[in-house]
Amino acid sequence: MTDENPYQPWIAKIISIKEEASGERAIKTFRLEFQDEEVKKKFTFLPGQCIMVSVFGTGESMFAISSSPTQKDYIEVSVMRYGKLTKALHLKEEGELVGARGPYGNSFKIDEWKGKDILFLGGGIGQAPLRSVINYCKDNRKDYGKIDIVYGARTSLDLCYKDEFAEMSKKDDLSIHLSIDVEEEGWDQFVGFVPDNLKRLNPSPKNTIAITCGPPIMIKFVIQNLLELGFKEDQVYTTLEMRMKCGIGICGRCNIGNLYVCKDGPVFSYDQIKDIQGDM
Amino acid sequence: MEQLTLPKEKLPELLGEIGSKFELIGPKEENGFLAFRKINDPKEVNLDILLSRVPPKSLIFQQTETLFTYAKGKDSKVQTPKIDESVRVIFGIRPCDARGYDIIDPVFMGKKEGDYIDPFYTKKRNRSILIGLSCNEPDTNCFCTSFDDSPANTKHVDILFTDIGDTYFVEVVTEKGEDLIKNLSKIFSKATEKESTIRKETERAAIKAISRKMNTEGTVEKLDKMFDHEFWVETARSCIGCGICTYLCPTCHCFDIQDESTLKLGGRVRVWDSCMYEEYTHHASGHNPRPSRMNRVRNRVYHKFNYFPKNDGIFGCTGCGRCIDYCPVNIDIIEVIDKVKEANI
Amino acid sequence: MVENKELIKVVEETVSRDDVKYVVGYKRGTYGFQIKPAFAYSAKDAKEFFYSPLCAKNLATYPLLEEKLPLRRGEEAEHKKIGIVVKGCDSRAIIQIIQEKGLEREDVVLIGIPCKGVIDPKKIAKRFPKQSKFVDVEENNNDEYILEIGGTSHKIPKDELLSDVCKSCEYPNPLLYDILIGEAEEEFQPEHFNRVDELKEKTIEERWEYWEKHFQNCIRCYACREACPLCYCKTCMVDLLEPQWVRRSVNLSENTAWNVMRAFHLAGRCISCGECERACPVNIPLMELNKFVEKEVKEMFNYTAGLDTEEKPFLGSFRPDDPEDFIS
Repeated sequence: MTDENPYQPWIAKIISIKEEASGERAIKTFRLEFQDEEVKKKFTFLPGQCIMVSVFGTGESMFAISSSPTQKDYIEVSVMRYGKLTKALHLKEEGELVGARGPYGNSFKIDEWKGKDILFLGGGIGQAPLRSVINYCKDNRKDYGKIDIVYGARTSLDLCYKDEFAEMSKKDDLSIHLSIDVEEEGWDQFVGFVPDNLKRLNPSPKNTIAITCGPPIMIKFVIQNLLELGFKEDQVYTTLEMRMKCGIGICGRCNIGNLYVCKDGPVFSYDQIKDIQGDM
Repeated sequence: MEQLTLPKEKLPELLGEIGSKFELIGPKEENGFLAFRKINDPKEVNLDILLSRVPPKSLIFQQTETLFTYAKGKDSKVQTPKIDESVRVIFGIRPCDARGYDIIDPVFMGKKEGDYIDPFYTKKRNRSILIGLSCNEPDTNCFCTSFDDSPANTKHVDILFTDIGDTYFVEVVTEKGEDLIKNLSKIFSKATEKESTIRKETERAAIKAISRKMNTEGTVEKLDKMFDHEFWVETARSCIGCGICTYLCPTCHCFDIQDESTLKLGGRVRVWDSCMYEEYTHHASGHNPRPSRMNRVRNRVYHKFNYFPKNDGIFGCTGCGRCIDYCPVNIDIIEVIDKVKEANI
Repeated sequence: MVENKELIKVVEETVSRDDVKYVVGYKRGTYGFQIKPAFAYSAKDAKEFFYSPLCAKNLATYPLLEEKLPLRRGEEAEHKKIGIVVKGCDSRAIIQIIQEKGLEREDVVLIGIPCKGVIDPKKIAKRFPKQSKFVDVEENNNDEYILEIGGTSHKIPKDELLSDVCKSCEYPNPLLYDILIGEAEEEFQPEHFNRVDELKEKTIEERWEYWEKHFQNCIRCYACREACPLCYCKTCMVDLLEPQWVRRSVNLSENTAWNVMRAFHLAGRCISCGECERACPVNIPLMELNKFVEKEVKEMFNYTAGLDTEEKPFLGSFRPDDPEDFIS
């Protein structure tokens, strides 16, 4: 991402890899550090923004940055093993080099939300962009009101950031509500889907922003339930996904209607997208 | 605008001189069709066939382009290839194809503060001097006039040649064009009033010879109201999903990016891609937001006649007619837009 | 000679059947000598159907283009037939697809048309350029095409406009059909596809130069693949990313890989309809490759594609006396 060539990534070292979920839907969080000191110094982003990660010889893919901008030494991406690039990335070891360029897209309006309660509703790997916002809010705790994190996955093996949630729940400045889809031995929290957990928790829409990210079907029912709970359309935020190549609004493929998700998104309020005409 | 003339028999001399000073690209007949190629000998230039099969967008937005190379192995050194910035003359480009560049310029060269600029397109665009050639005899599916354009429009080129019989009427439009002319021997003459009149008459006759018309009035608004219309299913029924309409379109700008390596060196390349392909929007998860031909045909029409106007204030169509000429199943964009206008909503 | 009235009647009857979803045939195009695929979902749609020597397009590709989208809960897949207007070669495409289990015989209703050969759209457009209105062409009993342009009638010897593939066609009559319109054509003595013979006389260097010249123009739009009724793989290997057999870069090497691969994958499967060559926007003489392979398959294995639905596909069968002297 030199000034002359926006397609050319900077070199970043994988300084640590954390296995978040194992099995068929394995998820790893990669901590990346830019090799060039200048780049490291000037790279800034906002929660919700994305980064294009390269494995040279395989290609590149866009990921939400899952670390908080308050953490300045590195950036993190949480990646589920799924396609060609993510498989190659999962084979990488600590100390190896990858490419990274960005940040891309818009962000959550964290500044406008100061003084408000924030309700996070995540599902599966969809928690990755939310983690960035959660950690940002945690690091600026006094700026925000009540924080509730509702997060679910198919099984306990698929839940990401388990130890971080355990750490957070030791303090009482935010509440965490985890769930899994089907009953499991030793699971003492909610069993069921995220939209159902939301209904059960029955949060008040008063002065609250709800952010949801996860599989499309979950988002659909979460939004439906939020509206039933009295949330206004502009209190609800989500992110959209499309296949991307350039990340900078040129290659044409991530359009939903006349919007390009890579530069006009990925963050949208529900009132922005409810009437959008486009293939999603 | 300076108005000159050049006797036709002097054209080889002119091209020879340009070719000796700069890289010269021109239309050449190959395997029964016209292609823009490097011209080594002025005799190779063919000005009889109207349009090149592949539009000259390929000269600026190349079908295959290496974005950077990377060393294989541990150090992953990346490097952007040097992009040639020396002057290059593109001779014989038709006004509609030159207008194609104007339409996609904002996509690659940015239109507002903070937009990314594609250096490959931008540098190729800036190094190119366009010597256009008016179309005296438009073809069956020409409809540039539907977009307030003309087969002899000077607006999109640096210099425009119009065939007025034994002579070319030469209009020097831009500074870039003036500089080029200054650099050449004095083989041009000042145009006379009479020649100027013939040129105007030639243009009028050419405009009259265009028989097809696309009525674009109100299309953007109408399309806003018919995204879920059954019409798209009907229109896409005959589409076989090839990439002809998009690859031959002077305003289609979509591309794919892929890593291609040899043992020692790798390159990240970009290659034209087409929204007509199923694979184009296919997510790694298996989900495809445009799973059927209906979605894809609709996207193409919307991109040109709704999204382009909304994002850049211009229709993404030059009226060159190539998509109509070469569609294997006669999906005719003029007919599609006519039917959009007729559709009940 | 196919009577359009009779064709329309048959299409009306076919589309009116409860077990038929739609019928695909031909209608007049928007300009010049263009025809369009026509789709009848009800009897009233049949009115625009027609047939003339311009109807070159092989429609056998349509049943395989139907997207099988995920069903909604409670929704059942539709098991209705598709009616297709077929000429000799088109019917052979259907036979070949059935042989390969790409379709079941019950999936289609075939409206057969005895074919006298079709016009090469490139040849006729060159002969009569700039026709902004549709022009129909008829064939008389004197091996001539008759057309009328601006009140002037033209008579052209058939040979001058006939598609090259049709000149060497051995099967002008549909080999498989449910309804036949008109009477079967008399069998006629086909010519050799002499473009292959010409090519065979060249030296290997000349041949390489010839193909290089063509392949470097390939823009990889895959119109050849999409137009071909036998190119119906769910995912074409050229689109695969894991592993990636052919790179996306458009250059002589990758283009050659694609074009040769395409021809090989049609070995013993191509039924010589000529759709690929007709669709190609950069005039690559693809039928020369297909015809060459067809000839080899015929000479070495005595196999011809698309003749019998019950026969085993060429590449899926083995005989102990198959020649193997090409394996060294």
